[in-house]
Amino acid sequence: MTFEELISSGALRPFKGGVIDSSVSTSLPLVAHNIKSLKVDIAAEQQVRLVVAYTKSCQAAVEINLAPNSSLELVEVYLADSYANITVNQAENSRCKSLVALLRSSNATYTYALNGRNAESVFDALFIASGSEHATLNLNTRHLISDCRSASLVKGISAGRATGEFHGLVYVAQDAQRTDAQQQNRNIELDNSHIVALPQLEIYADDVRCSHGSTVGYSDAEAIFYMRQRGISEADARRLQIEGFVQDVVSRCQMEPVCALVHEAVTDKLSKI
Amino acid sequence: MANGQQPNMLKIENLHASVGDKQILKGINLEVKAGEVHAIMGTNGSGKSTLASVLAGNEKFTVTEGKVTFLGENMLELPIEDRARKGLFLGFQYPVEIPGVTMANFMKIAVNEKRKYNGQQPLTAAEFLKLMREKSAIVELDSKLTARAVNEGFSGGEKKKNEIFQMAMLEPTLSILDETDSGLDIDALRIVATGVTRLKREDNATVVITHYQRLLDYIVPDYVHVLYKGRIIYSGDKSLALKLEKEGYDWLINDYKE
Amino acid sequence: MKENSQDIIQSLESREYQYGFTTDIETETLPKGLNEDIVRAISSRKGEPEWMTEYRLKAFRHWQTMSLPTWAHLNIPPIDFQDIIYYAEPKQKKKLGSMDEVDPELKRTFDKLGIPLEEQMALAGVAVDAVMDSVSVKTTFRETLAEKGIIFCSISEAIREYPELVRKYLGSVVSYADNFYSALNAAVFSDGSFCYIPKGVRCPMELSTYFRINARGTGQFERTLIVADEGAYVSYLEGCTAPQRDENQLHAAVVEIVVERDAEVKYSTVQNWYPGDKEGKGGVYNFVTKRGICHENARLSWTQVETGSAITWKYPSCVLAGDNSVGEFYSVAMTNNYQQADTGTKMIHLGRNTRSRIVSKGISAGRSENSYRGLVKIGPKAENARNYSQCDSLLIGDKCGAHTFPHIDCRNKSAMLEHEATTSKISEDQLFYCNQRGISTEDAVGLIVNGYAREVLAKLPMEFAVEAQKLLAISLEGSVG
Repeated sequence: MTFEELISSGALRPFKGGVIDSSVSTSLPLVAHNIKSLKVDIAAEQQVRLVVAYTKSCQAAVEINLAPNSSLELVEVYLADSYANITVNQAENSRCKSLVALLRSSNATYTYALNGRNAESVFDALFIASGSEHATLNLNTRHLISDCRSASLVKGISAGRATGEFHGLVYVAQDAQRTDAQQQNRNIELDNSHIVALPQLEIYADDVRCSHGSTVGYSDAEAIFYMRQRGISEADARRLQIEGFVQDVVSRCQMEPVCALVHEAVTDKLSKI
Repeated sequence: MANGQQPNMLKIENLHASVGDKQILKGINLEVKAGEVHAIMGTNGSGKSTLASVLAGNEKFTVTEGKVTFLGENMLELPIEDRARKGLFLGFQYPVEIPGVTMANFMKIAVNEKRKYNGQQPLTAAEFLKLMREKSAIVELDSKLTARAVNEGFSGGEKKKNEIFQMAMLEPTLSILDETDSGLDIDALRIVATGVTRLKREDNATVVITHYQRLLDYIVPDYVHVLYKGRIIYSGDKSLALKLEKEGYDWLINDYKE
Repeated sequence: MKENSQDIIQSLESREYQYGFTTDIETETLPKGLNEDIVRAISSRKGEPEWMTEYRLKAFRHWQTMSLPTWAHLNIPPIDFQDIIYYAEPKQKKKLGSMDEVDPELKRTFDKLGIPLEEQMALAGVAVDAVMDSVSVKTTFRETLAEKGIIFCSISEAIREYPELVRKYLGSVVSYADNFYSALNAAVFSDGSFCYIPKGVRCPMELSTYFRINARGTGQFERTLIVADEGAYVSYLEGCTAPQRDENQLHAAVVEIVVERDAEVKYSTVQNWYPGDKEGKGGVYNFVTKRGICHENARLSWTQVETGSAITWKYPSCVLAGDNSVGEFYSVAMTNNYQQADTGTKMIHLGRNTRSRIVSKGISAGRSENSYRGLVKIGPKAENARNYSQCDSLLIGDKCGAHTFPHIDCRNKSAMLEHEATTSKISEDQLFYCNQRGISTEDAVGLIVNGYAREVLAKLPMEFAVEAQKLLAISLEGSVG
């Protein structure tokens, strides 16, 4: 299954940008395919599902504005070398849930500006770099006002001679009291590859709950022992761990039929490393 | 009851093991025959869990001396998974969470690896699902849990039931249950213990490691051993467990000269 | 409760620097500014051999090609390097033979700082190489150490007396070309300590130096070189206080540590240079390069309690070159008023089975900015490298900043690296709980801060831990006793 097939089958509705208000049907997920630039204004109270797919090498700039009480479920899939810059501005009570699968040499920058109170951003991402690829994921979560929440989970795998990079920043402005920001980054390094991680916190308010964590290396010796005790070979145990590692992110995708496609693409990528 | 004619299933001779520079097991001797239930008791830090881990082959520990024979074979030579495939099952005190790996997938691989080791054909998906349903009933394990990741988000009781469920799936020759009773309320304890008892056969054996007598009300041992400072310092029948419950370990420890 | 917290914050801002006094003794200084003549003059005043003068000149020439590092999360006012006096020494009539000959004024200064330059030091087991401004004044317990073959003296003396050792190791861990401030230090360093522990020797006492900046407008450029030869062990303590000044003072030290095979070095610092007043006026600029190299099976442990300086730029680091070597970094950094700190560590794993551990506890109050910056780098040959980093920040008041900038760079698949960081404030619940048990809010904050820093304080030698705890209390003083 490909994006092209999904679109022609009518499961996704092509979208070129613009205002999404009650006049626009949102019963099907919208899809922006190999776009150069996309500007989306989601009107108040609207609930939108949007897929951005990169299946041909491209440079893209995406700007999404969420009006009060609106929500967006965003899935971004990189199946070609791309350079992408995505900015999401969130007004009060807006909710954005993003899922990113970066499966080629790409440089993707995500900026979430939480401008309105009670805005919430959930970000789940997976990057896999193999061969001589170089995958970079930048995430900048900006808490600019009080009472917002953000939670991100970024998982990376590098294999072959590839490089995988994660640059994360949680910024909390002085007025952004009662911020709840959590950022987690987990990486697995295989073969002769290279992982770089810079998870950063920049905090100017005191009444906050902020934490981040970053790890490289995933051989959980206890889990390997547990699996081998049940008769599973060490090689299989390690493979299972990697599948589980990836599955943890992929299973957070809730937008069918795109999820099946993401799952397939990820499995395919894993089979080659 | 114990059968004197049976050959040893497990024979531990003068087993010493350490972690880092610290010697934990200092000469364990134990023989287990088919059909027997042994209980190993002892205070915290006596080496009970280490013994279980070492038998299963946990690489965290180094065996510095001694011999372990399992079904006539030098077990210390075998990798962890081959010990398991040969029929050794360890019920973990703290079952490990494996995110993203579903119970069903995990068990399917484990069961079929064991079958392959014994020269059997792998189970078909249908056969496997049937087996799962059958076995999960033994410990009243919620069938929904098998769709979830291994132990992830399971309650303490569910984790322990899940251990016994896996034991049922793998039909081990020798089961070592490491503090399976810890952290269980009385209902869960009963379910777990009944599950273990139902799995007991003439051709398998169980070693129960526990802190308390209460589990032994359900799983009645043929022998009770007291582990202290890395050695078995006393062995007796099931009445020993009751005596320990009443009088504690002091009377034994005070008698014991290192 | 709200008001209470507000009071604490206010009184925190109003604390004064306890050690702000000046010693009235004559000093000899070179003219302001820096050029090759000044570098030569420093070298000749110290009676250095030709190779040392050349080394300084090379460093100076390289320094001229360099620019100030700007990557730190610091707001550094422009520094006029030509407006600084690079050399000052207390004037002394003759060589000192015994304690009685030490300038009474100088002795009183040390007494006020609580440095026991007396016989009771023997009981405390501390040998002190006290540095007042630029020249080592008095070294004690040299004989005891000499019996074991341990050399503990000023770096100037070492250059004269043990040129072979100094030549072999000086600049071997921190090259003059390493960074702007290490180049400056190499060119103009005035004094510092040298310590050599021979093969297989366990240093029987904690070695200690105290530094102060004294003369007005004087830069202080210490140079410390510690060498633990194969199988040796030493615990080294460094404490700093500086009197209160209006204009900012520059401090650019270099500490180099060589830990040979099977050796172990513990380096503990309590730093309370003058932080400036509550308006952010004055205070020391502390730009320090500290680094050690660990050979096979060696271990280097840095512990620091940083409460002073207007600006701190400091990253005590470990190069884990040898297999099975271990690096540790334990840090408490407290900033208040307008203080700025950008501090952390670098753990460079090159050998197999190398392990490192980082525990950083930042405490920000007032309008201060406190950043942890760390690098964990795993080279391609560092099989089974392990790192664990825990970086916590505690915020007191809503005008300060607490930042965490870790950098992980891994080139070996067998590595296991773990970084965790949290940011929190002292919770109202904690304060309420303490209040309910009859503990004042001030005491409660002190308790909580000390508890928060405990893991690091516990790494300090006993007598130092007590001082560090006092210092944290002083830094919270006014309200928090």
